[in-house]
Amino acid sequence: MERSEELGLYVIDEEDNETLLLHRITPDDIYRKQEDTIISWRDPEFSTELALSFQETAGCSYIWEQICNVQRSLHFSTLNSEAFHSMNSELRELPAVELSTLPLILKTMSESGIADQMRLTDLILNDQDFFPKLMDVFRICEDLENIDGLHMIFKIVRGIIMLNSPQIFEKIFGDELIMDVIGSLEYDPDISHIQHHRNFLKEHVVFKEAIPIRDPHVLSKIHQTYRVGYLKDVVLARILDEGTVANLNSIIHANNAVVVSLLKDDSTFIQELFARLGSPATSAESKKNLVYFLHEFCSLSKSLQMVQQLRLFRDLMNEGIFDIIADTLQSEDKKIVLTGTDILILFLNQDPNLLRSYVVRQEGIRLLGLLVKGMITDFGEDMHCQFLEILRSLLDSYTLSGAQRDNIIEIFYEKHLGQLIDVITASCPNEEVPSSSGKSSGFGERVDTRNGMKPEILSNICELLCFCVLHHPYRIKCNFLLDNLIEKVLTLTRRKEKYLVVAAVRFVRTILSRHDEHLINHFVKNNLLKPIVDAFVSNGDRYNLLNSAILELFEFIRKENLKSLLKYIVDSFWNELVKFEHLTSIQSLKVKYEQCLEQCGAKSTGDILDPRKRNDERALEKEEEDYFNEDSDEEDTASASHTQKPHAQSVSSNGVAAGYPSLSPRSSGLVDYDDDEDDEDYRPPPKKQQETPEADEGNIESLGMKRKLLSKDKEP
Amino acid sequence: MSDLDRQIEQLKRCEPLKESEVKALCLKAMEILVEESNVQRVDAPVTICGDIHGQFYDMKELFKVGGDCPKTNYMFLGDFVDRGFYSVETFLLLLALKVRYPDRITLIRGNHESRQITQVYGFYDECLRKYGSVSVWRYCTDIFDYLSLSALIENKVFSVHGGLSPAISTLDQIRTIDRKQEVPHDGAMCDLLWSDPEDIVDGWGLSPRGAGFLFGDSVVTSFNHSNSIDYICRAHQLVMEGYKWMFKNQIVTVWSAPNYCYRCGNVAAILELDENLNKQFRVFDAAPQESRGAPAKKPAPDYFL
Repeated sequence: MERSEELGLYVIDEEDNETLLLHRITPDDIYRKQEDTIISWRDPEFSTELALSFQETAGCSYIWEQICNVQRSLHFSTLNSEAFHSMNSELRELPAVELSTLPLILKTMSESGIADQMRLTDLILNDQDFFPKLMDVFRICEDLENIDGLHMIFKIVRGIIMLNSPQIFEKIFGDELIMDVIGSLEYDPDISHIQHHRNFLKEHVVFKEAIPIRDPHVLSKIHQTYRVGYLKDVVLARILDEGTVANLNSIIHANNAVVVSLLKDDSTFIQELFARLGSPATSAESKKNLVYFLHEFCSLSKSLQMVQQLRLFRDLMNEGIFDIIADTLQSEDKKIVLTGTDILILFLNQDPNLLRSYVVRQEGIRLLGLLVKGMITDFGEDMHCQFLEILRSLLDSYTLSGAQRDNIIEIFYEKHLGQLIDVITASCPNEEVPSSSGKSSGFGERVDTRNGMKPEILSNICELLCFCVLHHPYRIKCNFLLDNLIEKVLTLTRRKEKYLVVAAVRFVRTILSRHDEHLINHFVKNNLLKPIVDAFVSNGDRYNLLNSAILELFEFIRKENLKSLLKYIVDSFWNELVKFEHLTSIQSLKVKYEQCLEQCGAKSTGDILDPRKRNDERALEKEEEDYFNEDSDEEDTASASHTQKPHAQSVSSNGVAAGYPSLSPRSSGLVDYDDDEDDEDYRPPPKKQQETPEADEGNIESLGMKRKLLSKDKEP
Repeated sequence: MSDLDRQIEQLKRCEPLKESEVKALCLKAMEILVEESNVQRVDAPVTICGDIHGQFYDMKELFKVGGDCPKTNYMFLGDFVDRGFYSVETFLLLLALKVRYPDRITLIRGNHESRQITQVYGFYDECLRKYGSVSVWRYCTDIFDYLSLSALIENKVFSVHGGLSPAISTLDQIRTIDRKQEVPHDGAMCDLLWSDPEDIVDGWGLSPRGAGFLFGDSVVTSFNHSNSIDYICRAHQLVMEGYKWMFKNQIVTVWSAPNYCYRCGNVAAILELDENLNKQFRVFDAAPQESRGAPAKKPAPDYFL
């Protein structure tokens, strides 16, 4: 489809061979590679923006490299035009390689311009004896400890590699030559001590065979890949230019693809692998190695084409890889557990639905339980595994579809959410919690956490909960309204670790970012901001992350004009907050409150001092409440902030809403109900006589409404 | 000698810590950093350093020129990681110093202290290569979220990695940013880490970087005036001479990665402020090839495939 000539770029229609585009590559820096599949530029001839979009990233990077190469040679030919004319005709052949001709070869190489370099490449490739002879001379020099000779050979070999010719690479990375080539690069004249690369490769590097690989072609590729990687990352790391690194990477990439694809098509190999993994006769040690192998195998399969990789992963699933991972997750050896979770991550990155389809099956339910258990397991000194990431990916509503989603979310909420909440309540000091003390949340197994959880685990749970608020707002709302879940999470504010208090603030902030009336009323009615205000007050005048996070929360409430919260905060806590009136945010909160009050006073004279009265006097205060829930069109005059740019709420990669409240006045009220895929999540809470909040009556439909969460697409 | 002191000595030899040590260090650092302000107050004397970008041996040159921590007080303006070969060792050494001498060294977040950016520019791959898993990367990037966004030296010198934001006209407004998050794609926090001063624009301009803004002379003048500061000190841009004043000495760029990417040929600088805020730039070169450790990127010593 695309074909690169020496100086031009042609795009030809596959069907009728018509030339769609003919572009002369210029040496100017006008080309941009976007994402992995687009090359764009402003065409100087046509004064127009052009972009080529590629189906495959490989095709894109191929053309990109070609463009860079052409540009490079254009640059060089202008720089070396003199050399170009004078040398080009002279370079007809290379001298035969001997110790005595080394200086001449080196001189020829170092003085050649870009055009000569192509000629040089041809000469080297056409001379079958060039490399064998050069390596003979190298061995002789090494035997004789002829340092000058060795230094020259180093420079020659380095120069040859810098020619960046794939055909030359194929030759010198062959089994016969590669170790000598690496050996010759041990003698860098700029470094006083000799490097011991061959020694490292021969003595220290261990090639492990979990299952014997019999195909010599595969074996040779495996070793070559390691050595080329070593050349690139160690031996020549400081020397290589980007073009050469790209070519070496593509050799490694292609080798990996060959190896993985030959092994996966070898049915006896795969069968033996899984037979041994599943057999009780296999020793623990070799099982470990098999799991490590499996990880490397899955990881290298990234080099396959998308479709092939997907097929491979599906095959591995059918062979029972997830059962094996479930076993590894129960291992005492944390490194094996880590490898198991790493394999899961590879699957999830490829296609989360494979793992999801397993987890909703009867035999797979165990795995989900193990993942949740892993998340609340104390890893002691060891690094915690990526359980949080795995659960997030499994529960991600943006990539979930249909029945599978309902299923997996249902299982998680039924069986595991309570388990996570129990961990929090059991590890936070529980004075002042009369309602929840001694009472299990009613589902799931209780987790024994008498010694208190590692703060790291609590912080992960809190992060997962924030994620759930954004992804399953209607499902989790039932737990909020019926199980006092928010109150339980807020016990985190009593932990001494300040970052856990901050995490709790963020949880509240995430819920409020949903602009859900019922939840806002729930906050007011149950006095749920008290722990937050308490934390703020006891933090005093310290300007730290906690202080900033809570001020940001207040700013959000003010800017978004969440009137019932505003009223509730000032009515209930002003006595304490007044000490902080010197802070602009606190002052503005009060000003905003007074404005609301004034406007409200004009409309109704009802008692607004105690918001919790509303429960009893609902009818009387309906009008006023309506006012507070109304959209306000007036400008945000109380704002002391000079923010000019409206900021969308973005969801950052760690799964929490970024703190940029929009200033747009229209976004503060009841407008913008969008249809949303999350609506299906909602199931009306089962009616419980004494617990059903009155505010919910007759409002079931409005529960289904949801404010559009902006910038979903920002999720990387 | 305490564990921490031993770890600092080890890191000074450019030997990375064990995973368990990284975990413990990060948890301790988190407790310290959570107490810092979005505009961290810093006392003079202090030595201000710009981008390091994983050039460990060049950072050792920096300490030779500027003196050891804690004898000298330091402030680093971010971009500790990516590009160079030793992001892990560089960041862990700075973090260990922070935990050991919290009042002697201030670490400000740069735009490279981000999950997204480090996956593209090297830190992620380096962690994977050096530890065989991404755990260390995850712990370090979690710490990035806690790093302070800016500093104010003796109420007179405002220090930040990138520059100003149209959403921020007073230092007070920075206070209400909940900084514990991945660097966002826009908004005040993003701008502080991404913006650049630019000679040609007056007012605000679009940044070619795709994040943050360009800001001109008048913006700096009015910002400095309304916050009664003398000048802004920032990093973020390569300057061949190591430092560069702009807009009639109202803003200075400090760059501390000599021979950036091991090929740019620039010198580096640090800015020393004495207790009276007198300025002294110290310019230094890249570490000689000889003093660098041999294998730049050590591969895992065993392989299956």
